[in-house]
Amino acid sequence: MKDVIIQGLSQAYSNLVHMFAEFLPRLLVMLVIVAIGLLVAYVLKTILRAVLHVTRLDRLSEEAGASRFLRMAALPSMTELLSRSLFWVTWSGFILIGISVLGVAGLQEQISRLFLLLPAIFVAILILFLGLVTANFLSRAALLAAVNAGYPSPKLLSWSIRFVIWALAVSMALEQVGVARQTVIAAFSIIFGAFMFGLAIAFGLGGRELAREFLERNLGDKKGEKYEEPQPL
Amino acid sequence: MAEESFLADDFLRQLMSVGEVDLLIGIPSYNNASTIGQTLQTVEDGLRQNFVRERVVILNMDGGSGDETRQIFERRSERREPNHKGLTTLRTIHRISCQYDRSPSQGLALRDIVAAADLLRARACSVISPVTTNLTPSWVANLLRPVYREGLDFVAPLYARSRFQGLLARDLLYPMSRAIFGNRIRELYCDEWGFSGRLASQCLEQDVWHEEAIRARPEAWMAVKAMAAGLKCGQYFLGPKTASAAGSGPDIVDAIRQTVGNFFWCMETNQPAWMNRPNSQPIATFGPEHELSSDGLPQSQDKTFDLFRSGVNELEPILASILAKETHAQIKAISLTDRAKFHFAGELWVKTLYEFAASYHRAVLNRDHLVQALVPLYRGRLYSFLQEHANSSPEAMEAQSEMLCQEFERQKPYLLDRWTAKT
Repeated sequence: MKDVIIQGLSQAYSNLVHMFAEFLPRLLVMLVIVAIGLLVAYVLKTILRAVLHVTRLDRLSEEAGASRFLRMAALPSMTELLSRSLFWVTWSGFILIGISVLGVAGLQEQISRLFLLLPAIFVAILILFLGLVTANFLSRAALLAAVNAGYPSPKLLSWSIRFVIWALAVSMALEQVGVARQTVIAAFSIIFGAFMFGLAIAFGLGGRELAREFLERNLGDKKGEKYEEPQPL
Repeated sequence: MAEESFLADDFLRQLMSVGEVDLLIGIPSYNNASTIGQTLQTVEDGLRQNFVRERVVILNMDGGSGDETRQIFERRSERREPNHKGLTTLRTIHRISCQYDRSPSQGLALRDIVAAADLLRARACSVISPVTTNLTPSWVANLLRPVYREGLDFVAPLYARSRFQGLLARDLLYPMSRAIFGNRIRELYCDEWGFSGRLASQCLEQDVWHEEAIRARPEAWMAVKAMAAGLKCGQYFLGPKTASAAGSGPDIVDAIRQTVGNFFWCMETNQPAWMNRPNSQPIATFGPEHELSSDGLPQSQDKTFDLFRSGVNELEPILASILAKETHAQIKAISLTDRAKFHFAGELWVKTLYEFAASYHRAVLNRDHLVQALVPLYRGRLYSFLQEHANSSPEAMEAQSEMLCQEFERQKPYLLDRWTAKT
């Protein structure tokens, strides 16, 4: 009985020692990978930051109106945001590689799935960013054009354009990461269709006079009651 | 040579066959079939009557006209020396027509004109617009002569105007350009002007021809280049100007985008030339410096005020990102005043424009959008001007205009502060 217990304990001990002997080098490898990842991520961040400074991305971002939104969300400048993102993405990648080296059962599969999703997440973030920039630019262009032409409700027009582009960007991003693909497409179609239908009804029925005035002004006889300002030049 | 890369082979061949010239006249065109013949005739008359011994070439730079503009020019060119009485040129007047692009761009047309001037070593050049319907032979001579005989490098026209015509030029472009660049050129944005071969060569070296800012209005950039290089500028009074229906000019929004956008861009790209420049100096002026006729007040401008008020309200976030807090607050305050008591003071107008210029420099938002955001404010100033001067005499209006110019010069240090601010 005593021998069995001692044998069991020694077996367990030798297993533990064996496990540690197997695990410690892996842990060491993981730590090395994480450290290298930290270094690589830092170097990449520095390079990207320098490149973005040279290409004046912040100025472009200001012009497109994206920086204003970043400031509103208490986020750093575009250059800083992108370089920090690259840092964390790179380092996270190395950390995941390091964890996979540990060989913990069950974790491998999850990490593989996460790795497969990473490119899609990147593309989705890019789509969202481009959508944000495009929506801001076009909505502001529409606002200025409508205000200067004296059209009624310029803000409504501007926000409508912004909303449609955002909805499109969000649905494209969700489809990219594969989140409830069918639902997203159906939801977008319904929202977009309802929005356009609502606009058509509002413009054609609710704003019949406005619609007539708009069409007459743009398509009708322009000699009518055209408002004339003094020749500027 | 720079021009080898962009001048069409056929155009280059024709230029080579002309040899060197003394005078070069460029006529940029786009769908001007109804006026190009008369323009060419007047230019030729001007040359025959005033430059008998000089070697001359007339270039028609066409932007892809869909009508018969080029054919008319070429047909008239084939009719050599019609029966002319009196003094006539002793030399052949060469005429060349060329399509510089498939779509119109005054900037690209000017690029080919200055390239031709450089290649042919022209001493004096002039750009003449075919949309001007009352062009006379003396105009051509008056734009060329100060360059050819007096040694000037840039000659702007001076037009006689009615009291309420060209207010963008008189209330913004002239006083601001005078304060910034220090030269009192009244018509910085014009359809016809003269320049020297030396200035043409200097402009040709610049790689700006595809910039959107000079696509529609390259003439002010050329004047600014002359000022920046310390070349001699002048202006010649030509009289009243009338344009064909096609050339009646852009509306306020397009005019501001083309001229103010171009002017801010000239400021941005020529900073060393103006930042330390002292107050403005008079330039050589031939004939009266200004002439205003006493025309009546334009029709009711209530809509102008409504557009100003709604613009200030609707564009509030955009204006807040462009203007200083105090300036924005003052504009919002006057937009709420009663229409009859409305007054957009010159001091506030100058401050507003300088803040727009500084924000353009810092690119706080898309630059074309920024310039468009100025339109409602210009309408406010326009309404105030029309109310204030409904019964003013031309002399009183001119005196007021001079005071505005001095206000621009007085506030220039404020512009420099805003321009060089770190944030």
